[in-house]
Amino acid sequence: MADITVFLARTVRTMEPSLPVAEAVAVQGGRIVEVGTLETMRPWLEFRSHEVDDTFKDLCIMPGFVDPHLHPSMAAILLPMHFTTAVGWDLPWEDIGPVTGDEQFRTRLVDLDASLPTGEPLFAFGHHPIWHGPIDRNALNQVSATRPIVVWHRGYHSLAVNDACLRWMRLDTAAARRHPQVDLDAGRFFETGLGLALRHLRGFILEEVRFRRGLDRMRQVIHHGGHTTIGDAALGFYGFEEEWDHLQAVMERPDTPFRVQLMPFTMGPEGDERTDEELLERVLAYPSRNTHRLRFSDHVKMFADGGFFAELLMLKAPGHLDGRHGEWMTPPERFEAIARVLWNAGLKIHVHCSGDLGVELALSTLERLQWERPRFDHRFTFEHFGVSSSQQVDRMAAVGALASVNAYYVYELSEAFATSTLGYERASQISRVGSLERAGVRFAVHSDFPMAPAKPLNNAWVAANRLTESGAVMGAGERASLDAAIRAITSNAAHVLGLEEEIGSLRWGKRADFTVLEADPYEVGVEALRDIPIWGTVFEGEKFALRDG
Amino acid sequence: MAAGSLDGLVPVTVVAGYLGAGKTTLINELLAQDHGRRLAVLVNDFGAVNIDAALIAEHTGRTLSLKNGCVCCSIADELGDALDEVLSLEPAPEQIVIEASGVADPAKVAAYGQGWPGCRLDAVIVLADAETVRARSRDQFVGELVTRQLRRADVVLVTKCDLVTDPELAGVVGWLAEQAPGAARFTRRAGQLDPALVLEDGRAVEGTTRRRTLDDADAGAQAVFESVLIELACPVDRERVEAALRDWPQSVLRVKGVVEFRGSGKLHLVQRVGRRWRIEEAPAGLGQQHIGKLVVLGLSGTLHHGDLAAALRG
Repeated sequence: MADITVFLARTVRTMEPSLPVAEAVAVQGGRIVEVGTLETMRPWLEFRSHEVDDTFKDLCIMPGFVDPHLHPSMAAILLPMHFTTAVGWDLPWEDIGPVTGDEQFRTRLVDLDASLPTGEPLFAFGHHPIWHGPIDRNALNQVSATRPIVVWHRGYHSLAVNDACLRWMRLDTAAARRHPQVDLDAGRFFETGLGLALRHLRGFILEEVRFRRGLDRMRQVIHHGGHTTIGDAALGFYGFEEEWDHLQAVMERPDTPFRVQLMPFTMGPEGDERTDEELLERVLAYPSRNTHRLRFSDHVKMFADGGFFAELLMLKAPGHLDGRHGEWMTPPERFEAIARVLWNAGLKIHVHCSGDLGVELALSTLERLQWERPRFDHRFTFEHFGVSSSQQVDRMAAVGALASVNAYYVYELSEAFATSTLGYERASQISRVGSLERAGVRFAVHSDFPMAPAKPLNNAWVAANRLTESGAVMGAGERASLDAAIRAITSNAAHVLGLEEEIGSLRWGKRADFTVLEADPYEVGVEALRDIPIWGTVFEGEKFALRDG
Repeated sequence: MAAGSLDGLVPVTVVAGYLGAGKTTLINELLAQDHGRRLAVLVNDFGAVNIDAALIAEHTGRTLSLKNGCVCCSIADELGDALDEVLSLEPAPEQIVIEASGVADPAKVAAYGQGWPGCRLDAVIVLADAETVRARSRDQFVGELVTRQLRRADVVLVTKCDLVTDPELAGVVGWLAEQAPGAARFTRRAGQLDPALVLEDGRAVEGTTRRRTLDDADAGAQAVFESVLIELACPVDRERVEAALRDWPQSVLRVKGVVEFRGSGKLHLVQRVGRRWRIEEAPAGLGQQHIGKLVVLGLSGTLHHGDLAAALRG
């Protein structure tokens, strides 16, 4: 076998300003030796043996896509379920069209019921009353009197079941009747009532074989989207050590074409430390477990306010449209105290923040820490970044912050949030990537999968177009440029993860990670970004086609 | 069946309030005190609970067993699991106290107490730090949360009263009356022990008369609460009892008893904690000695037997 493999392409988009376009990439031992043309890389080819691989001669080589923020464990729970969402999901094993309207939703459940083996519980994910009308126990009983059916809400915070499921759960009905957030007659469990349902369902959905099957599906989803690196932005939702074991078993295999950068919680399930030293000791010990594909570093995760999909975001004035309240996931004083410990230890802090008050907590904390103990290149990153103001963006620029944005909110939620949660002005400006670009704040876009589809090109498309599911434009002034949108899934996403020396662009010495596209995104333009077919990926020099042959 | 509980369900008391309001101090005292109850206390942060090592009988996983029969269990993000864990203990706890996280909406924690298999809600007690609560209520990050916590209270306990002057305290108490209308309000000073605030006195219906509920072992402490027994000739008018439960002064902390309503022919359990009151059918098997007896617990020196009884008899 030759020392060097030279991959030829119609176009190589390097994302390196010094040499933005090339024709060939020479690779040895999983790393790039040189980018250029066959002509310019001749010295290498004269010193070492080489072969030319022209598989991509009519295609476009991009740096391998990076999604810095998704959740494999949540996905592992969800992916064995059947999707019934109002917005379609193109999954590797099934292209699921949108399910809209009461009748279509019911038909989908009936079809699923007919397709499953007798006795297997039916878990359907993605019910939303705006699109599917109300769903209750009686309606589900008409789908099946014998098969347990669980219908999960798109926002994750409620579910509905049929009689067969109530029997299967062996529910304590007297307790359920006392519970203020269980409507037993309707078969509905919501908010804290979910805990009562999960008491019975958790064993089933977290069972090892099912969970690992879900995680393996996640593996396919990640490859399918064209990723070669992802960030698991909070390992340990359901038990840190169990999830770590599952990840090793499913992901750390020669046929897994991506690496996972893991970010630990700095509070929460594992965070019972008495002292700051204990907290730091735990966080700093994680990298000693690293394997080839699964790696911790010095990046840590914190939480400000509640989730965007769950509508638990904390808002500044004028608050929520309907008078509801968000939630703090960490007490603000505690947030600042923990951030100070992490900051002073030189760690890189990523903060989950959904609303502008959540952003304000993270931002005012960062400003204070910068004043107390200035740091350069600290990588303090605002994650999700749902609601914010342009003034907050300017302050972020002033203190050197980064952002990792869920742009997809615009596509699926902005119109619904305009009428139910935020009003039009704020809703049209969620995920304000245009302001970030103008202020010079480096940003990535992420999927937070399973919140949004794990499709970097689709997320870049939303960031650059701000089109909604219905085809409306929301906040044209907050569009990202084409170049910023592409950087948000390549070089800047790598920067957010602290991996810019290793991945994110194509130049000598970097990992030979490519995403291979059937068209050049800089040629097709912003409107068509999401429609570019993906041939597959190259991970550390090895080709992984999406389709055989 | 849990001892002391007439309906077989373990009462759950939620102790809530923002950071620094004194929840952990209260929990530490409850665990250390010799009140004769098998309490299970669920806490967020094991590290903050400060129990004398000499009192610890056993430490297994997330649960700490004490020599006085109490247990302390870490919630570790899964309240339902922690409830299941302590409910499965042998013998079962007589009462469960949940320390809510400082940013929790007490209503959400209360929902667990109310609807988890084997439990029912006793009351939501919200602690308010006399020195800082008003400033916190104006804080841009937590102001709305702090006032919402107070609105959810059945009982408000004003803590750290020694750190403010008497006029300041009066100002805070007046402000709290606006924030948490209807909730019972009590103040707490250093050295005062108040298990009665938290403990549902299941044994009161056994026929205790006037007695001091505050710990006599602490010679320096003044009695803060006292109880009064009211005996009613049954059957009584339901509306009359409901009106009394609603209208008795806010210095009444707890009411518990068994009565027979006119025209119903059934025994009913009557309970009030702070402003939360309920009437429900009594379980079968209650002895004659229980019927018509109401135990009223309240601020010492404020309970006038004659007035309380008059409200019931009309």
